[in-house]
Amino acid sequence: MPEEYVKLDVTDIDNFRYDMRRCVRCKGCKWVDHIYMPGSKFSTRCPSEKRYLFDSFSAWGRLRLALGLMDGQVNYSQRLVEAIYKCQLCGACDAGCKRNLDLEISSSLEALRIKCVNDGYGPMPEQKALAEKIEKEHNVFGAPSKNRAKWIKENKPVDETDIIYFVGCYASYKMPEISRATASILNASGRGFKLMGPDEYCCGYPLYSTGQMDKAKEVAEHNIESIENSGARTVVTSCAECYKTLKVDYPKMLGKSTSDMGYQVIHLVEFVEEQLGEGNIQFKNKLDLRLTYHDSCNLARMSEPWVYWEGKRGHFGLTEPTMPRRRGTYGLYGQPRDILKSIPGADLVEMVRIRENAWCCGAGGGVKEAFPDFAKWSADERLLEAKDVGAQALVTTCPRCKENFTNTIKASGDNMSVYDISELIGEAIK
Amino acid sequence: MSIPKEAYRVLESIVGSEFISEDPVDCEAHTPGPNGFETDLGIATIMKRPGCVIFPSTTEEVQKIVRTCNRYKIPFIPVSTQWWSGRGAPKVNDAILLDLKRMDCCEIDERHMYAVVGSGIIYSQLQEEAMKRGLYTTIPGGGSQVGVVANHILYGSSPLNYRTCIANRRILGVEWVLPSGEILRLGSLAFNKDDFLWGEGIGPDLRGLIRGFSPGWMGSMGIVTKMSVKLFPFQPDKPIPTGISPETALELPLSRMRWYNFIMPDKGAVVKAMYEIGKAEIAAGVTKVPLFWRAIAKANNKEEFWEIWDKESEESVAAMNVLRVLLIGFTSERQLEYEEGVLLDIMEELGGKQARTKPTDESWIKNADSAGMWMMCGGYTSLEFDFEAIDHAIEKGVDCSALKKDFTPPLMRAYGDQGWFQVGDFGHVALFEFLTYHDPDDEEIHKVDEWAIALAKLNINKRYYTAQLASHKPLFLTGPAYGPDYHKWMLRIKEEFDPNNLSNPPVPADYDMFVDEAEWMKEIKDW
Repeated sequence: MPEEYVKLDVTDIDNFRYDMRRCVRCKGCKWVDHIYMPGSKFSTRCPSEKRYLFDSFSAWGRLRLALGLMDGQVNYSQRLVEAIYKCQLCGACDAGCKRNLDLEISSSLEALRIKCVNDGYGPMPEQKALAEKIEKEHNVFGAPSKNRAKWIKENKPVDETDIIYFVGCYASYKMPEISRATASILNASGRGFKLMGPDEYCCGYPLYSTGQMDKAKEVAEHNIESIENSGARTVVTSCAECYKTLKVDYPKMLGKSTSDMGYQVIHLVEFVEEQLGEGNIQFKNKLDLRLTYHDSCNLARMSEPWVYWEGKRGHFGLTEPTMPRRRGTYGLYGQPRDILKSIPGADLVEMVRIRENAWCCGAGGGVKEAFPDFAKWSADERLLEAKDVGAQALVTTCPRCKENFTNTIKASGDNMSVYDISELIGEAIK
Repeated sequence: MSIPKEAYRVLESIVGSEFISEDPVDCEAHTPGPNGFETDLGIATIMKRPGCVIFPSTTEEVQKIVRTCNRYKIPFIPVSTQWWSGRGAPKVNDAILLDLKRMDCCEIDERHMYAVVGSGIIYSQLQEEAMKRGLYTTIPGGGSQVGVVANHILYGSSPLNYRTCIANRRILGVEWVLPSGEILRLGSLAFNKDDFLWGEGIGPDLRGLIRGFSPGWMGSMGIVTKMSVKLFPFQPDKPIPTGISPETALELPLSRMRWYNFIMPDKGAVVKAMYEIGKAEIAAGVTKVPLFWRAIAKANNKEEFWEIWDKESEESVAAMNVLRVLLIGFTSERQLEYEEGVLLDIMEELGGKQARTKPTDESWIKNADSAGMWMMCGGYTSLEFDFEAIDHAIEKGVDCSALKKDFTPPLMRAYGDQGWFQVGDFGHVALFEFLTYHDPDDEEIHKVDEWAIALAKLNINKRYYTAQLASHKPLFLTGPAYGPDYHKWMLRIKEEFDPNNLSNPPVPADYDMFVDEAEWMKEIKDW
């Protein structure tokens, strides 16, 4: 049995041929972990497969199509490109597969998008347009980059700190309530924060997740250099997408491991949990609210550190050295829940699909831009689940989730509130 | 060639344009393989891409589709989860694939303890719905992700069959679209189409017909769209899900449910214990598992599995006889206490040493990790299983294990492991299953097909019962030896019900088709 040399490198889809060939269609990528199966309702984890039914919109079908594309049995068509892009890359399939089979599903799907772009068929026009905005003004809205720090009010950055707050496009331009709350928390802890200001570019998630690798890499290299120049060693984000991109995708793009990056990326919930433990911040205000917590994919099952690997794969698929597996086990599941439970008066009630089994809000992977109806449909499904457990409010850790839920609620005339966790923490420490 | 345009338009008018496609992208995605249950083996050479995929949502829609197929003479194949990939792929060109996932009704009659399920419902869904109501079903070896309807038609074996018998004997009312498009309702449905309560009904009981002889008809006798299945009363304390993937398990209410592991002095003691436990009418499950499952449970990944497993030898495997017993205090905590007392008495008498057991259930109550069978080698298939007596399972295990050596490699080295067997119906039957693993990319992969034939011949020569007569095995090899001539009966019944031969042709003789076409099988075809 000949050995093959492979790398965990998404720029060459051939690295994932093994994973594509070893899918057995057990549909671990579709169903909620059977141990946690809630019954005949809310029983699946993949928005794309549930919405579009055809296997072409499932992980197992996409792996089959990718193989077909590589081997010439399938040609590019509008349907194929749609099948590739009508997916949030939420990682539910990846965590589900690794319950049993350990196949690299997320990386295979990323590699497929990169191939699609390199072959001239991707991304979707709306995703291309967004890339142009990022290129021009370094943010997803195309807003003037000089306005990036305009959200600042009373809580100002300081020079003497080793913490950089990577604000992200949404909290910088569209949701100042998140950036202001985060700034107030960082200052209340006594640690303070620096900003990158106009040197902060969009993290590149919309580029990387749509297969625009070259552009994503350019942005990554710029941001990494800015972080290094700042002298800070800890990067705090209040956005799950930024968090995962800086922590996981940057090293992935550069052929490194997270531990080799020279800086540490933490999300606000990690920071707050630590500060609560050390007594640097306290929750004083009572919030009378029955709330539920939505696990943002990029903070949860997608956020484990990236470990670069290259080596041999031989008989029975055995790897040498042993390939590290990221199974979604160590996502940030406990921190946000512990924080919410610590807020006086907050009544945390869990939905049925949580943590690694959570249903995506629907916005990720470029879906919100290219297929807004699908993004809304996915959010609707999640909100049904939140209502099913009697929640008055839904809390998340990602501005993109917040926006998608808020817009969906608005469109349906519903009355559920949506908060970013920073807002509740900010209120509780006042 | 493709589906005639006029036929496609008719089909589209039945389900709506959103639920049908003949786009090559969709059809390719619905084609199983290259890996999966059987699809890495020779039979994959006769698998075809469907010509059209359609998603009906009601029995009436299924009926109209099947009638359209008959009108235009288009072959069709139904799938619910398509888990048994080798069976869920068309073997002829331009077939219509009916994906039944939209048929997902799951209604439970708590009082009469049965569930009415559509073809798209899987076991873990049904189990959770049942447990919410203090009832349960048994999760089969096929996995929690298999379709309840398809699995009930097929067999449905599980260690918990110990009390409940195999699933195909728990079928009640059935709604069945015949290959001609007629709807046949079995049991009490025959005289009231809303009454799923009763399996026998009036007139002849046709449930045997739907089950076929071995194992099921695999979509070649029309489409079951709805079925009621028996449920059983469970103990009242619901097991609690715990852990994060991949380490998830059910925390058992230990005063009501417990797994026990015993290391038995030899195989004879295992068999004796199985009989004694059955005679005492205690326990909810009794099983002897292949030893490599223990290595799977200990390993964090496939590399670790091989580190653990390759420390074994023929001697160590022969010396390790593990018997697993599940006790459930269905009626009370005292029931469990009593059964534990009896069990420990039996074990003391037979020299069984109690080993450590987790206070959780990873497999069988709600979850069954059949997909995990692919983890070690990348390829897996179950080429031999049956329901016979415990002694039959033992004898056959020895022979299968000896024969396997001739095919290792490409089969995974098993150090003489003699398979998986478990007790059903309080010891009156035993399930035997001989699991084999391989690397699908092995240069000698064709030997796995030869192994299938060798097993069929072993069964014939030794007069072993087998449940695999027409799946993984050529019908015209096994048929003359069993029944006798059961192949003629199957084909005659098929012809009677499906005169146009449209329901998943050429099943039940698809394996024969592969044998006839594959170069590497020609040399061994001597029947």
